[in-house]
Amino acid sequence: MEIVLLTSALVFYLLSTAGFLLALLSAQQTFLRIAPGLLLVACAAHAGAIAARSLSVGYIAVTNPYEAVSFFTWMTSGLFLLVQWRSSLTVLGAVVSPIGFILTLGVFVLYTQARALPPALQSSWLPVHVTLAFLGNAVFCVAFFASLIYVFQEKQIKGKKIGGIFRHLPALETLDKLNYRSLSWGFPLLTLGIVSGAVWARHAWGHFWIWEPRPVLSLLSWVLYAFLLHYRSVGWRGRRAATLTIVCFTVLLVSFLGVRLLPGRHGGEFG
Amino acid sequence: MEANLVSPDPSLMVVGLNHHTTPVEVREKLAFSEGMLRHALPRLVAAPSIQEGAIVSTCNRVEVVAWTHDRRQAGQYIKTFLAQEQGLPLQLFETHLYTHTDREAVRHMFRVASSLDSLVVGEPQILGQIKDAYAASASIGTLGTVLHRWFHKAFSVAKRVRSETGIAAKSVSVSSVAVELACRIFDQLSDKTALVIGVGEMSQQTIRHLQDKAIGTLLITNRTFQRAVELASACAGTVVPFEQFPRQLHLADVVIGSAGGSVHHLTSDLVLGALHERKRRPMFLIDLGVPRNFDPRLNNLENVFLYDIDDLEQIVADHKGERVREARKAEAIVSQEVEAFWQWYACRDLSPTIVALRHKAEAMRKHELEKALAGLKDCSPEVRRAIEGLSVSLMNKLLHPPIGYLKNHSRNGDAEAGATSVTAVRQMFGLDGAQD
Repeated sequence: MEIVLLTSALVFYLLSTAGFLLALLSAQQTFLRIAPGLLLVACAAHAGAIAARSLSVGYIAVTNPYEAVSFFTWMTSGLFLLVQWRSSLTVLGAVVSPIGFILTLGVFVLYTQARALPPALQSSWLPVHVTLAFLGNAVFCVAFFASLIYVFQEKQIKGKKIGGIFRHLPALETLDKLNYRSLSWGFPLLTLGIVSGAVWARHAWGHFWIWEPRPVLSLLSWVLYAFLLHYRSVGWRGRRAATLTIVCFTVLLVSFLGVRLLPGRHGGEFG
Repeated sequence: MEANLVSPDPSLMVVGLNHHTTPVEVREKLAFSEGMLRHALPRLVAAPSIQEGAIVSTCNRVEVVAWTHDRRQAGQYIKTFLAQEQGLPLQLFETHLYTHTDREAVRHMFRVASSLDSLVVGEPQILGQIKDAYAASASIGTLGTVLHRWFHKAFSVAKRVRSETGIAAKSVSVSSVAVELACRIFDQLSDKTALVIGVGEMSQQTIRHLQDKAIGTLLITNRTFQRAVELASACAGTVVPFEQFPRQLHLADVVIGSAGGSVHHLTSDLVLGALHERKRRPMFLIDLGVPRNFDPRLNNLENVFLYDIDDLEQIVADHKGERVREARKAEAIVSQEVEAFWQWYACRDLSPTIVALRHKAEAMRKHELEKALAGLKDCSPEVRRAIEGLSVSLMNKLLHPPIGYLKNHSRNGDAEAGATSVTAVRQMFGLDGAQD
């Protein structure tokens, strides 16, 4: 069941990628209407796959690389759909859909059979900590893409190159607003993710904080995001804000992937 | 009698002149106002050679569109008609006139409606003007089946060209390109403020485009205060005294410069101050002046986007090139549609003729049958049925060749052959009532 749903999600990610690209390249309104629908189907199938896995193992399925990447991919695509629903940002779909497709392909590579949860992770803090952290990451991921497109679009306009398919890119102000909104949602989520992690650590290991690369990197990205939000509120905007958003997300990504690659206890006997 | 047998020369026609062939001094003399059309149109179709007619008159063209049964006479008539209606000697404009007939006329009209024949290819006004011309003739009643259909087809071709090609996708004027750029920086203009420095023609055009996009506030400043007041009252803007505009600069999201003078009205210091005050919200500076109004180095400032007249004209040139490329696609669509319309035109008389032929034959048969049977009162029902059967099969056998002839001639889409065959059959069988 899980594999069937995941496969259909993969197919629909591919279809929505094609839909968004066609919407971007041709001026046809039809594709613009169809593409988000395809992505919605992909997301729904993906949600089904995650639910099936979670039900079969009896806990929220985010405890090994296969499950984690799958969960993150699903959240980012779902979040994009929310954004798309509020304001039509075709180009963001043209970025998120192919990434959804590639990550889901990766999910197939990482696929592992479900197994019993290691004792270290057996806690009711697991779903809280992981959902908050992942949701925060997904929101920052949207901010990251908005910023990438901002930097590109700004370069085009400053350089007086405004032709080609890039004329369908959203207005700079739209991207900047999306950046700000994502940051102001992502930051509290990241904060709560770290706090819930600390509380869990206190329960599991007896102290709130462990000096290991993974939590330290998370803290570093928290500081960077705090810095960015502060300067945004006093008038940093546009390219400078976008560039810093890209830097922040890179650090966050390292800390996220670092769960597996960096040494330490965080994540327990992860994978 | 012999004159009747000479086949007439039915034709779709367009006779007129346009900006390609004729200087504006001549065009403006030939233009028809709405009031003139009301009187001229009935006189146009009063000519025996013209069945249906319409007049398209815009600042770039004056064209008479007609359906005629005799192209030579009609062509001549339309020329003198134009001269008489406008009270001009024919020699003044005769050399500028073009005459398109049949397929070429259809193509011409489709191209005009699709804005392929316009001064600025792809401009949207022409379709509206042709629709007005159509409405005027339709209300006066100078159109029939053929012209109604022709005009409607022209509208749908224009629509198809617009939706299937990018012929009108990109702006080709400096002011509209500037405003489009503004829309790539700001997500909406309704909460934005534009400051206009200088009140020249370029400023006014740009203001019109900004207002099309619902710009929130317009601030207008000019060295001569009075002229700023005039423009501001014309476009519901607010006047800012020229000496004071630097103090208002921080309010402006868009700044348009088209004032004269050799100093830069916007310098780095000025803009940096404004940026600081507006918390670095982006500013779009449009310099339409020659010599330039704004310091060109302003483009290097963060969150400042500066386009001068050369930048904008470069974009306009690119867009024009693109329109030319898209026009090629449009020409292919037009060719297709000309053929489709021509098929209809070639066959339009066919079925009424066949119906009329059958009706006439059937009426004759019935009439003759009754006459014959009236004289045979005593014969048996079998004989009556045999005679009736004979009349029906005789009629059908006789009708078979002329109907086959009509269908054959129209099938290949050759309107002239089709029309000739229709006329021949109608005359031969007296279908137009001449022999009744």
